Amino acid sequence: MMILEHEAKALLRSVGVPVPKGTLIKPGTRAPRVPAYPVAVKAQVRSGGRGKQGGVIRADNAKSLKAATKKLFATSFGDEKPEVLLADPWLPIDRELYLSVTIDAAAEGYIVLYSPKGGVDIESGAPPARYAFGAPWKFRAHELRAVLENVEKDFQLRERVITLAHRLVETAAARDCHTIEINPLARLKSDTDRPGELMALDAKVVYDDWAHYRNADILAQRDGERRRAHKLLRASMEMGHMYVKLDGDIGLISGGAGLTMGAMDTIHQFGGKPACFLDASPGPTSTRGYKPAFALLDGDPAVKVILVSVFGGGTHMNRVANSLKANMAMRKSKKPVVFKLDGTYVDQVPGIFETFGAHNHTSLEAAVKEAIKLARAA
Amino acid sequence: MSILLDQSNRVLVMGITGNYGKFFVTDSGGYGTTIVAGVSPGRGGGNVDGVPVFESAHAACNATSADTAMVFVPPHLVRAAAIEAIEAGCKLVVATADEMPVRDTIEIRAAAKANGARLVGPNSPGIISPGKAKMGFMPSFCFMRGPMGVISRSGSLSYEGSKRLTVAGIGQTTVIGIGGDPIKGTTAAEALALFHDDPETQAVMYLGEIGGTEEAAVAEYAARKDAKPIAALVVGKTAPPGKKMGHAAALVGSKADSHSAKTKMLARSGVHVCKGLSDLVPQARAALAAG
Repeated sequence: MMILEHEAKALLRSVGVPVPKGTLIKPGTRAPRVPAYPVAVKAQVRSGGRGKQGGVIRADNAKSLKAATKKLFATSFGDEKPEVLLADPWLPIDRELYLSVTIDAAAEGYIVLYSPKGGVDIESGAPPARYAFGAPWKFRAHELRAVLENVEKDFQLRERVITLAHRLVETAAARDCHTIEINPLARLKSDTDRPGELMALDAKVVYDDWAHYRNADILAQRDGERRRAHKLLRASMEMGHMYVKLDGDIGLISGGAGLTMGAMDTIHQFGGKPACFLDASPGPTSTRGYKPAFALLDGDPAVKVILVSVFGGGTHMNRVANSLKANMAMRKSKKPVVFKLDGTYVDQVPGIFETFGAHNHTSLEAAVKEAIKLARAA
Repeated sequence: MSILLDQSNRVLVMGITGNYGKFFVTDSGGYGTTIVAGVSPGRGGGNVDGVPVFESAHAACNATSADTAMVFVPPHLVRAAAIEAIEAGCKLVVATADEMPVRDTIEIRAAAKANGARLVGPNSPGIISPGKAKMGFMPSFCFMRGPMGVISRSGSLSYEGSKRLTVAGIGQTTVIGIGGDPIKGTTAAEALALFHDDPETQAVMYLGEIGGTEEAAVAEYAARKDAKPIAALVVGKTAPPGKKMGHAAALVGSKADSHSAKTKMLARSGVHVCKGLSDLVPQARAALAAG
């Protein structure tokens, strides 16, 4: 999960990486105050390309700060409105660089990326220099130095970058970050009180969701994500379901990410449109497991029909069928439901389904066609 | 032949006294897997369906010559259990758990490499050599013995895909679930290298997803002059960009991650690309005919 810039900067500050001393502005603040002007007022959102969408405004006095605050709180970035703003001192920059540490499959672990030209156009410029070392304890300063030798000619700067990169690698490993990206990493002008110092003017941190049990920050982020979700979705998320809303009318309850995407593609292939990606594989065999999934889709007016498509190995279909039976008995919604269950103990499914008048499709294509037909008729 | 797994593997079950461990002994043992030992600290000396339980992997390997480990412990304990099995001498370790921190996988992979062992998983259905042995919970009826190697990033998709092949009369040498996480114990490239060297495998079906770089490795192999024919299905054609589709690695972040970029790249390298699940069997047949 990606965290907000001000949270990422707090993490960097806690491990000794210089960041600007910013001020947080909460929604509803009528007269925001900062210690000094000018400031960069920055919308705190998770979507990329914020700078290009007008999410950063320079304010030179109290009046322009107030105007910028009002404007940014009223702007949506992607499907996101800023929860809070960050007003950072506007610093005199000598050079903008790019530095990141991220997980990379080919490297079997972490890589460091560095570009001597950072800033908003990083993606359109030359690709950054890449140092792949894999396991965090395999990072070697001299190896990174060899990679950067021809990329960064300023050796004093280069040494500072290497030290910083090592710090980021250790932080990523210790705090379970998939990515720590600093862009821009700025060298301040020589006439400032910290000449030549490298400072993280922006920061992006992506946490590993699954490390929540050993990192309280990740747990808090996950809880925050759930709190922000509406009631029905929250119940589903608490079961560990993974949900992405889409713009169609066939509510897909599925198990396993690959087959869920396969089912979405199949729905499109026959001219229908899925209303969601909903992987309900965690805990599906208890009645509790599917209940929030049905509540979520029954409560969504865009959903005309529900398609339950599960192919289980460790998940036993006799138990899934019994859970579905209990859920169908509890449901008040009249939306039609189409079933396609397959996997371990699927031979017991028809017998269980017969007791509540449900039919189990044996092919995904047939189930999808049936769901599309019902959606059109609704 | 098959890759990595057959009846000759002597399997040790880490976490044998849990529900998954017990089911595995019945299900996989019944399938033909040679299960020789289990580990469950505090429960050494007992047995599960006749399989002896030991206090440690070291003790289990010494007593039974186990050389392969199946790990069934909760996600936060997988790193410890997998590395214990590797350091006790197991050369193949299969970890099916999802919800595992990536940093732990990095550590297991490094330990495997240092000890000349191989990890399959995590976040994987495991591995099955039909008619011989299986390590994981794959529904056995979906598979049958035959000439096609199968590599899958997703468990559920490996079941659906293999069942389609089986129903069409196309059997499999081995079906390996490489998993949906960004760091994998065994990558697509490594699995392809194993199938390449297996004389019985005539062609390979690759079941991929949007996001990540595995598909690039498949294209790279397929472009080799001596490559075995490859068919591939990439799911997630209709997934919106920037959203994580369940698997941590299934996310279209850049253009190269997208469905169209991946299928074009695969087709250019001579891969028989499936238009969708319905096209899986025809492309598998085309790949086998090209072999």
